[in-house]
Amino acid sequence: MLFSIVGLHLRLLGKLRLLTGAKEFIKDYPVAEIARRALKGRDAIYPFGTLMEYGTAVLGSTVTLPRYPRFPSLDTTIILLPPAFTPKRLDKMVDLLREPTFEDVNLECELGGFKVSMPIVAGTMGSTAIASKTSIPIAKACAKMGIIYGIGENVATVRGYSKRLTRGHPCFKERLMAYLTNIDKYGGVIIQQSVEDAYDELWNKVYSDKDVEPYLEEGKIGFEIKIGQGAKPGLGGIIKIPREQVERLKQKYLIEDTGKEKYVTRYSVPGTYTEEILRGMIRNMRTNYPRVRIWIKLGPFKDAMKVIKIAFEEGAHAVVIDGKEGGTAMAPCVAMQHLGYPTLVSLAFIRRARLLGIDNKLSLLPAGRLYDGSHVVKSLALGASGIYIGRPLVISALVKGEQGVINYLESVKVETQMLISALGKYDVHEVDPDDVASLDLNIARALEIKWAFELPQQDI
Amino acid sequence: MPFSTILFKRSLLNCQIVVIVSASLNKGLNFDELMPLHPAVKEFENMVADKERYRKFLQEWLRYSWRWAREEKYKLVFRIQASILHAIREKLDSMGFVEVLPPIIGPVTDPGIRGAKQVTFDFYGHEYKVMSSAILYKQYMAASLGKIYFVSPNVRLEPLDSIYTGRHLVEFFQVDLEMYNATYQDAMKVAEELFCYVVKYVKDVHGKELEEKLNRSLPDFKPPFPRYTYKDAHKILCTELNCKFEYGTEIPWECEKVLSIHHDTPIFVTEYPRGARGFYDREDPTRPGILLDFDMLYPEGFGEAISGAEREYEPAKVIQRMRETGEDPNKYRWYLEMLKELYPLKTAGFGIGVERLTRYICGLRAVWESRPYPKVAGIAPTP
Repeated sequence: MLFSIVGLHLRLLGKLRLLTGAKEFIKDYPVAEIARRALKGRDAIYPFGTLMEYGTAVLGSTVTLPRYPRFPSLDTTIILLPPAFTPKRLDKMVDLLREPTFEDVNLECELGGFKVSMPIVAGTMGSTAIASKTSIPIAKACAKMGIIYGIGENVATVRGYSKRLTRGHPCFKERLMAYLTNIDKYGGVIIQQSVEDAYDELWNKVYSDKDVEPYLEEGKIGFEIKIGQGAKPGLGGIIKIPREQVERLKQKYLIEDTGKEKYVTRYSVPGTYTEEILRGMIRNMRTNYPRVRIWIKLGPFKDAMKVIKIAFEEGAHAVVIDGKEGGTAMAPCVAMQHLGYPTLVSLAFIRRARLLGIDNKLSLLPAGRLYDGSHVVKSLALGASGIYIGRPLVISALVKGEQGVINYLESVKVETQMLISALGKYDVHEVDPDDVASLDLNIARALEIKWAFELPQQDI
Repeated sequence: MPFSTILFKRSLLNCQIVVIVSASLNKGLNFDELMPLHPAVKEFENMVADKERYRKFLQEWLRYSWRWAREEKYKLVFRIQASILHAIREKLDSMGFVEVLPPIIGPVTDPGIRGAKQVTFDFYGHEYKVMSSAILYKQYMAASLGKIYFVSPNVRLEPLDSIYTGRHLVEFFQVDLEMYNATYQDAMKVAEELFCYVVKYVKDVHGKELEEKLNRSLPDFKPPFPRYTYKDAHKILCTELNCKFEYGTEIPWECEKVLSIHHDTPIFVTEYPRGARGFYDREDPTRPGILLDFDMLYPEGFGEAISGAEREYEPAKVIQRMRETGEDPNKYRWYLEMLKELYPLKTAGFGIGVERLTRYICGLRAVWESRPYPKVAGIAPTP
């Protein structure tokens, strides 16, 4: 009797624990904040809600909410430094013949070989159910907003290239064309190929696809070499697939079939790289796909600088360094907790690379828990060319479909413009390391930026 | 008026005179005069200048190919093609090569093909490919018979912009040969001897017709042809001939053309940098980054004729190079097992495209003239 009560209790505890995945994510990640943006768009940049309208609210910076991660982040340690004197605002005024506003801030730039309306990239999301279901509204919204859109690995292999292989999930071409047919003068699409996709020659397929040809000619296509991702660096893609797909996929993937559940776990291999292999791969791609932009996606690896160096020397267009906060649909807990460094360290690599002379020919982007205008501006100030995001788009799409994603992106755009104008600058290219400081002396030293408390010594 | 002329009226008036480099830039080379591009090559360049019109022309050309195939000109082209194949077999057989039946399908095929897609089909539950080249099987048979060749059909779903090169067909033949225990220099010697023999043979058999009906006169070639290492070619092109490209990338066609118009014979470019070629071109163990391979270019602007190399036979090296295309070496398991079992499987060889050779010998505008029922990227339906 006693044992069965204890057993019941333990089972209950276990079941409750099962719920924690979703609960912890909602508690830890700013889901509500992004959902609000998806609903309200530009208005969401103000902290008003139904209960606290303008006029009744009293606002101030939050410093005590217990939702920060256990390691330093852009939010906890990096601040932006607005000046009193703004000579560039004067220049802009001379240009415009009026006082400039934040809306005069130009965000248009070159990013990873594409012309974009703002320096934000919808990162490559893969074949997982949630990424798959939200992929079409995200693709359309990104195209309309003029930002780069990524298609992750295994999509073509698992969901089908041009025909749907799984019910209710768009195939690869649907995602691709939803984006390409909606772009105007900005944007570009980046496509990953896992080892298993390579088996099916995904990149060759795209490169010889008649429907894609006009966009290849316009330079709107990029291929992304995936060397790793933040949530599980060193491990390959892991997803659950319905049992009925096992037969089709077992030739190409490692499948862990315990024989009971409706879903089985499908692993893809991480792929083996050495410096030589990466160098050879970039060269091969430049030869085989001369009209394609070459991107490299890295997990939080200690040798990121070597990758940046090789990418720069071999003429790749962009390197993305995913910090350990990087989103994922499925990763082992130990990997998320213990493998790799946080996004702030990714930015430290980017900052150091710029100091070592890696110029803007190679775009460098951080990824991992980046979702608002401050993240864009701080990253730019530290030498990044833009930010690479995923989860905010998925959440926005879940909240309000395509319009939700557009609303969300609008809100980030306005925030970015506001912050840059507050720095007395009117072009995204003008943001520099002088615009940020760290509240932490060690981090300030590591990033070679100002320490916020280090005040000027000169006489008044 | 013949069908071909009705479809695309020759507009030789529009031909640009090729003065790509001035004589003063020409110091490093021994030629005072530039070889002009062949008029057919110039005509092709004019055709593709108007992409839309060219595309329409090509659609008609492919769709109704039986019409022009009956014209006197093309009857001769196809007869010469038969002579070319005859000459190749005669020469190679006399040199001790054995003609072997080529494979048509297999679990893997040549992956080292610039952006082209392979044809995949279901082979009783396994994915199999139609040969994009039989390269992996050449080594297999060279290990058995020593010196072998295939007259081998290949299918490559080329990228769509390949229709503007004049050199790419989706379905084509190549004479693919391989020699056991040979070097790439040995392969080059065979290549130039073979080429000279074929040209001489065709001249002997068809010389008069060639001149009268195709307005084509061929010189008497003598080996050896000039050889440039990639490194030297890069240096000459970038410094003396003002055709700049990045070291380590394939030589752009415009630059290859510039180099070839300085010669009245075919030329070899050797020792390409690693990364620009398939995993099977052997890296020089004493000079890392340099491949023991070569290309032969036709004169008069007809472009690449031959690609050849010594083969990488160290399994670990091959696996590493395979990863450069992002693939799982497991896909090539039989090949890797063979390399291990037959270690060291040292071979060298090359492939020469039959339609390109026909185009050069007959002086045609593009390879879609040098083959019956031609097929090119993206254009269908065709016979």
